[in-house]
Amino acid sequence: MSVRARPTSPHLQIYRWTVTMAMSILHRMTGIANYAGMALLAVWLLAAALGQDAVTQVNYIFGSWFGQLVLFGFTWSLVHHMCGGLRHFVWDTAAMMEPDQREAIAWATIIASVIITLLIWTLFVWMA
Amino acid sequence: MRESVITTETIANPKSRYGSANASTRHFITQRVTGAINILFLALLLFIVVRLAGQDRADVVGLLGRWWIGVPFAALIANVAIHMRNGMRDTLEDYLAGSMYRLAMLLNTLFCLAVALLGAGAVLKIVFWG
Repeated sequence: MSVRARPTSPHLQIYRWTVTMAMSILHRMTGIANYAGMALLAVWLLAAALGQDAVTQVNYIFGSWFGQLVLFGFTWSLVHHMCGGLRHFVWDTAAMMEPDQREAIAWATIIASVIITLLIWTLFVWMA
Repeated sequence: MRESVITTETIANPKSRYGSANASTRHFITQRVTGAINILFLALLLFIVVRLAGQDRADVVGLLGRWWIGVPFAALIANVAIHMRNGMRDTLEDYLAGSMYRLAMLLNTLFCLAVALLGAGAVLKIVFWG
C-alpha cells in the first residue's frame, strides 16, 4: 500500500527572526560555550598548581593572538549569559512579559553584554 | 532518538515524563540559586584574572594562596560545575531520550566533575600547599 507523504512541520528558517528568539538561542549557545570555556580556567589553575614551566606554557598559549581572541569571546559569552540570566530572574517574577517589554529587555541584554565586555577589555587589557 | 512517538495526548497527559517528574522542580530551583551565586563567581573571576593574567606562578600563589580568596574561589568553581551540569541536562532533555540521554548525561556528569575536581582542587592545592 502506497502512503501519501505526510505534511511536515515548517523548518526553523521560515520563521521571522525576533529579538527574543535570538536571545533565547544565544542564551543556550553562550551556556554551552561557557561549559567548554570552564576547561580553559581549569587548565590555567592546574598549571599554576603544577609549576612555573606549565604556567609559562599556558601564558604563551593564552597570550597569543588566537588565545586572546578566544578569551575575548569567552568574556562576552560569560557576560551575555549573566545578562540573560538576570532577564530570566525578571521574567520569573512574571514582570516585563508584554510584547514591547520583553522585546525591550531582550535588546537590553545584548546591548549591555557588548558594552560590559568592551568596558572590561578596554579598562583591563587595552589601556592597562 | 525518541523511543516512542509523541502525540498531543502524550503531552497533555500529566503522567507523561518530560525531564524527571520527581526532580524537575528541584532542577529549576537549583539552576536559579546556582545562577545567582555565579554572579559572585564572575566578580571574583574578573578580579583574579585582571590581577594574574600572564603572571608567574609566584604571583598566582601570592593571591590565590590567601585562604580567604582561594577557599571561596574553589567553592564558587564547584557551584559553577553544578550549574553547568544542570544547564547541559536541560539541553540534553530537549534533544535526546532513553539510553542516548543517559549516556550523554553520564559524559556530562564526568566533564563537570572533572572541571570541579581539577579546578577547585588546583586552587585548594595552592591554598594549603603553595
